[in-house]
Amino acid sequence: MFVFRNHTVERFFPKGYTFSGYDDISFIPQDAEGYVWFYQVPVKNDRKLLAEEVESYSGKVEYLLGRIDPSKAFVALTLVPVFEPVVSESDFQIAAAIAGFNLALYRLAQEHANLKVIDLRDFTSRYSAAELMDWKFYFISQMGLNPRLSGDFIHWWGKKMDSVALKRKKCIVLDLDNTLWGGVLGEDGLDGIKIGGDYPGKAFAFFQEALLELEKSGVILTVCSKNNEADVLEAWERVPSMILRKEHFAACRINWQDKAANIREMAQELNIGLDSMVFLDDNPSERELVSQFLPEVAVPAFPEHPYELPLFFQSLVDNYFQVYSVTEEDRKKTTQYQANAARAEAQKQFTDYASFLRSLQIHVTVSEADEVTIPRIAQMTQKTNQFNLTTRRYQDSDIRQFLQDGWRIWSVSVSDRFGDSGITGCALVHGTDIDSFLLSCRVLGKGIESLFLKTVLSVLKKDGCQTVTAHYVPTQKNAQVAEFYEKCGFSCVGESASGKDYVLQLAMADLAVEDFYQITIK
Amino acid sequence: MNNLMEQKILDILRKLFESDSIDTSCSQTTCSKWDSMNHLNLILDLEDAFGVSFEPEEIWEIKSYDDIVRLLTKKGIPSA
Repeated sequence: MFVFRNHTVERFFPKGYTFSGYDDISFIPQDAEGYVWFYQVPVKNDRKLLAEEVESYSGKVEYLLGRIDPSKAFVALTLVPVFEPVVSESDFQIAAAIAGFNLALYRLAQEHANLKVIDLRDFTSRYSAAELMDWKFYFISQMGLNPRLSGDFIHWWGKKMDSVALKRKKCIVLDLDNTLWGGVLGEDGLDGIKIGGDYPGKAFAFFQEALLELEKSGVILTVCSKNNEADVLEAWERVPSMILRKEHFAACRINWQDKAANIREMAQELNIGLDSMVFLDDNPSERELVSQFLPEVAVPAFPEHPYELPLFFQSLVDNYFQVYSVTEEDRKKTTQYQANAARAEAQKQFTDYASFLRSLQIHVTVSEADEVTIPRIAQMTQKTNQFNLTTRRYQDSDIRQFLQDGWRIWSVSVSDRFGDSGITGCALVHGTDIDSFLLSCRVLGKGIESLFLKTVLSVLKKDGCQTVTAHYVPTQKNAQVAEFYEKCGFSCVGESASGKDYVLQLAMADLAVEDFYQITIK
Repeated sequence: MNNLMEQKILDILRKLFESDSIDTSCSQTTCSKWDSMNHLNLILDLEDAFGVSFEPEEIWEIKSYDDIVRLLTKKGIPSA
């Protein structure tokens, strides 16, 4: 599974999951087994900006749904505010944005069969606000949830995924006497069995009505019972308070043969797997027989008292027939908020990635290094591993020395309408050789990487430089940039185990950038 | 290598980095599995195992087995 996320969440998923960059929807691996959307509400004090950012998420989900294989699952977690400083009691814009996003998810789930929504509240409601966040790990690692909850989360997630993974049953196999009605038809007769009227008939009538609703939602009902078939057909026809009748059952085995054999036959007749069947019978020895001979069939214990049937039915639905329970519940609420959601949706549509980027109003500032930025540049050479072409580590003093020696050193900072990422990349150029080029993974996915390189190259070209050389030095962590210079038009002129060397004639280079970036060069 | 703190640290490193061959020379530069995500996991495991809390500055400072021993000793964890 591939997880789209905007915070550090790796710890919260089992081994084998892979992850997008932070808030990066530009890369959609087509070979993923399925997809997960797990965005968390960013920590931001500017409430208007925060609301706008949250409002942009549903457009992103819609964008992704349009670009993945619709036969693959896309599991989206709802947004739950973990940190809510209430500045003003009458300020609901964040709450409205979050509710709007969650509703948009439920609406999208009605249009996209592969979208499953899981309500994160089901997990977070077990904890207090203080338990949900660990601010130390938020500030050092961008964790939007307390990392110590990861074990519980993985467990919870596993259960949720089981329900999502279409483990929903298809068919209920029903006994009749003391299961669908009270009493034994062969002994008590048509007038003697209890269905409808006072207790216990009332409880059985409730149970039959509930099963009828399941049948309407697509669950197959069948009968497997030890009776005289003629008696049963008569009861279905003639008992006035009977709710489930012959036409509601897709298959029937009313005979004195063993129930395991009967159930196996019905599975073949209906062309469904034994593992999609649930067997209900008040008789413990019949249940035991079926679970012994047909271990694939689900055999829940049947309640001893008819008044327990409502709770039993509830557990039946929860365990076997509810795919993602909260979605269904919340769908009912949908209409109530429809106007609201429609308004929000209208603002969020974008049709392609370029118009998405345009909507971000990205502002990129490329600045020559100075005393203020030197420490940050040195720090980035130390800490950046993934988008780092040569991974050369430098101290503040190295950077100062390079500047004295005439190197050109730039940092890049990026902001968009949702906020300012600060200095998130740098380029170190020694003469006409790009010694280092790196970017924080936080800003990847917005085209900043090639934009920054092209801007640096344009400045060099303007200053009279004709040919630029560059290098890729592989490490255990920077495979994602192995082809970066090729993509930017450089020619590889040497390749060995220690890396690749490149050259680029600036006169031939395409240095044009998309018009939707606002660029400032200092 | 029969001292308790050191053995506990090695157990954590070996489990986390899935290698029994990890020894006291383990560091971020020699161990490919010691990436930023596992660094976080390591800090949490150490905090839980020793009942301590590392300051962010200390978390950045930890780059090797030796750093862990040094910081835990500083926090009063006995090495025997």
